[in-house]
Amino acid sequence: MMLQLENTLFIITMLLYFASMILYFVFIVAKKDLIPKIAILLQLAGFVLHTAALICRGIGAGRLPLTNQYEFATSFAWGLCLVSLIFIFRFRFPVLGAFSAPIIFLIIGYASMQSKEVRELMPALRSNWLGFHVSTAIIAYGSFGVSFVLSVIFLLREKIQSGAFLDRHIPQREKLDLISYRSVSLGLLFLTFTIVTGAIWAEQAWGAYWSWDPKETWSLITWIVYAIYLHLRIRRGWQGRSAAIFAAIGFVCVMFTYIGVNTFLPGIHSYA
Amino acid sequence: MSILKKIWKFISSMRFAILLLAVLALACSVGSMVTQGQSFAWYAQRYSERTAALILALHLDDAFHSWWFLLISAFLCINLLLCNILRLPQLILQYKSETSPASVLSGKGDISSNGISDPEAVFRHLRMPAPTSCRTDDGRNAFFSVKNPVGIWGAWICHLGILLLIAGFTLGQTTQQQFTVYGVPGQTCPIGDTGLLLTFDAFDVALRPDDTVEQYTASFTVRSTEDGSSRSASASVNHPASLYGMKFYQNSVGWAETVTVTQDGQFLQQQILCTGETLPVENKPDLIIDFTAFYPDLVMEAGSMPRTATGSLNNPATLYTVYYQDQILGMNILMPEEELTIDEYTVTFSDPQMYSLIQIKRDVFTPLAFAGGLIIMLGLFCSFYLQTEKLWAVEVSPGCWTVSGCSRKGGVLFREKFLREVS
Ligand code: HEM
Repeated sequence: MMLQLENTLFIITMLLYFASMILYFVFIVAKKDLIPKIAILLQLAGFVLHTAALICRGIGAGRLPLTNQYEFATSFAWGLCLVSLIFIFRFRFPVLGAFSAPIIFLIIGYASMQSKEVRELMPALRSNWLGFHVSTAIIAYGSFGVSFVLSVIFLLREKIQSGAFLDRHIPQREKLDLISYRSVSLGLLFLTFTIVTGAIWAEQAWGAYWSWDPKETWSLITWIVYAIYLHLRIRRGWQGRSAAIFAAIGFVCVMFTYIGVNTFLPGIHSYA
Repeated sequence: MSILKKIWKFISSMRFAILLLAVLALACSVGSMVTQGQSFAWYAQRYSERTAALILALHLDDAFHSWWFLLISAFLCINLLLCNILRLPQLILQYKSETSPASVLSGKGDISSNGISDPEAVFRHLRMPAPTSCRTDDGRNAFFSVKNPVGIWGAWICHLGILLLIAGFTLGQTTQQQFTVYGVPGQTCPIGDTGLLLTFDAFDVALRPDDTVEQYTASFTVRSTEDGSSRSASASVNHPASLYGMKFYQNSVGWAETVTVTQDGQFLQQQILCTGETLPVENKPDLIIDFTAFYPDLVMEAGSMPRTATGSLNNPATLYTVYYQDQILGMNILMPEEELTIDEYTVTFSDPQMYSLIQIKRDVFTPLAFAGGLIIMLGLFCSFYLQTEKLWAVEVSPGCWTVSGCSRKGGVLFREKFLREVS
């Protein structure tokens, strides 16, 4: 019952995200100022239903919906949508949605291709730390997703001629760079939470808080890459373009940690 | 500058830190790409003999404990330690100056606005702490307020956390004691050379209605051979037990069976074996029975290896191997009612049950590593979310003030906020 409801909500959510993405495209082509307002409303509605879908799945499965590929992918899309909405409102920057919507849609599309079967959890996964570990990972990944989007916008803004429309909707480079830094900071803080809670959990489950499992190692690599980003930014001449490129590379590491490690490298995280 | 001074400066510089971090990330990625801890033969089969030789020569098979990995980590620690020590006096001075109006009152800050009649309202709108009144050098009235001055300590705290974490991890790795014991209820095993004995009292496998496993719980008693004391506890997955300063983890499980050997119909010996264990025949030690594998719910399909469909005892089967004078004599699958006959000997496998594998660890430095982790999080929070901002107002003419502000990291966002609130 709950799972059926979840399925329906999930499909409506996908449609709403899709519609909002299309509207953002229309906005970029038609340049009508009203369109992004509607697109944000659709995205917001999608987000609310998405939250409801996750809650239904949680109730249906009797646990946090954060334990298999489908659940993590849909939660990742949810996290990216959450962080991008926060940044849209906090920095009054609706066009951010135009660039994050396709990525959100891509991830939720990936989720829809995964098996939605609810499986019982193996004993090692039955831990409260799992909830903290995965939910902080979702926020971290969402923030890094937003920083990636901001970097792309930054690099595109350099290429495109300034004009009244562009200046009205896309902040100046200095501000873009700073917002991108804010999203990396949020991501790094949450990635640190993720790694620490994961270590506490591993310590309780296996008696080893760090065992250089490929997924652990890649989350550390991601952490280091963003630490390099922060240090480079302090050096003169490294803000702006170089920082944007570096943040984009960081997101490639995030995606590799998320998908690549499970696909290409063996390890105990193979269930998630 | 002398060459030594140059080297010292480089070793404590942030440039070196960035370089080290990049090299460390690269080293980690190499370590994650090469499967760790395998033999030459394994790598040779997977790649080629030359690659395998290279992997072993460069210690890529144990990358995270190799000399080069330790060297990079050691340099990072030295760099970080020097950086933090050298920055400490600067930071103390900076903190003093951040919290005192003297440093800013004469300047214009990042942004300022003239002709303000109610400066205190600006402080309120910008959510600054209540300003203190003071005087400029030339005796004019002024207000000053600083928000989140501790923010400047964020990076320093984060670096300290990293040092503690690395110290805790390294000390733990070099001093920790680790043992594994496994068995079925009734069996007793020594815990390494600690002088402690562990006896399994019970092993409970909690199943859900659909036969999947919900929890494994091992109950055991640990006895000290030195003072004769004993203590009992139980450990389940995710809930380790603590006894005698060590932690006991229910780590994994497997199957055990009772193996009975008779000779010409006469009972000869009986022992419980866990999968992978061997039993030499008592009066013919060259003859060895190996309990190779156990399938609780055997499925045999043409052309593929035997496997088990579920974890329940629906169709149990035993895979054995028999060795005589180190030569394989035979290998086959036995169903419960079947016996294995070798000349005058008859071997039966019965009473399948699960055994528990307990991981035992003593690492007094784990709390240090976790404290490091918490301090890193605290430092990052201070650095990112306690942003130092200063605001001051100077009375230019009676009732007419100039309000100025600066922010360590707010940049254009701070300036925009300032202008919004002032207007
Ligand atoms: C894994 C290693 C490291 C991490 C995670 C790390 C983290 C950080 C963070 C979060 C900041 C604040 C950046 C910001 O606010 O934008 C920072 C700043 C800084 N870091 Fe590191 N750091 C690391 C290693 C090092 C090392 C080895 C050095 C050695 C010299 C160093 C030197 C500095 C300096 C000088 C600053 C500027 C401090 C400031 O502006 O307040 N860092 N670091």
